[in-house]
Amino acid sequence: MTKKGFLILIGAFILIAGLIIFRNFNPYESKFFIQCPFLKITGLKCPGCGSQRALHYLANFELIKAFKENCILVCSIPYIIGGVVLELKQPTKEVLSTRKLLYSTNAIYVILVIIIAFWILRNVIH
Amino acid sequence: MKKYFYSDGVDKFGPYTIDELHGKMITKDTKVWYEGLGEWQTAGSLPELNDLFRASPPPISTGASSSYGGPLDQQHRPPKNWLVESILSTLFCCLPFGIAGIVNAAKVESRYYAGDIEGANRAAADAKKWTMISFWIGFAFIALYIVFIIFAAVAGDL
Repeated sequence: MTKKGFLILIGAFILIAGLIIFRNFNPYESKFFIQCPFLKITGLKCPGCGSQRALHYLANFELIKAFKENCILVCSIPYIIGGVVLELKQPTKEVLSTRKLLYSTNAIYVILVIIIAFWILRNVIH
Repeated sequence: MKKYFYSDGVDKFGPYTIDELHGKMITKDTKVWYEGLGEWQTAGSLPELNDLFRASPPPISTGASSSYGGPLDQQHRPPKNWLVESILSTLFCCLPFGIAGIVNAAKVESRYYAGDIEGANRAAADAKKWTMISFWIGFAFIALYIVFIIFAAVAGDL
């Protein structure tokens, strides 16, 4: 088996196992979920806080509850899927220009600003 | 009739007549030589070659690696910038390393489109490094946590 095939197999296994776990257990009620070390140490939320709870609600198709737990995670899903699709497609002129518009320097800086703004705002506004 | 050679900086091509040079990617910065000329000269410095440049567009970039003034290859994508992986690691695991990955992804893109292919490759290697660091830290953290949970469960039973 090639290295790539092996990685895809591992990835699929983690995805399915994760889906089953997050569908059946709520991180609020179960004590088996890892807590964010940043939150524990500083008492402040990081941009990733709530993503396990958001995954739990997503796996149960409760989009609004998931959005309330971590809106940036929910919003990033279509963007991430789009990025992967563009990465896999043959590089035609259209693919490359779309990629350059949505996934290149300017877009990346916008993402960085959004993440950092979200990080600050979620600790300021309750 | 004078016959010209030209070079892309690595290989030399020719001999060609001026008419034949019209079909080649000659820009003002392309080095050319003909018999009788002492040194290679830029095509722009030879008045008889001026006709060649009317139809050809100016070079796109002035980046470090574009010794050959042809347009940047439009059929290739930049090196893998690890953007998606960096966003995922920011949201799920290791915030500072994820941010470092995103910054390097931006560097890959800006350098590539400025024509600095080598710099883009270096940033791509950095982006990969941060992604791998966050992946393995996350992996080790979760593995330790699982061991801890099992240990606690067993200890609780005793």
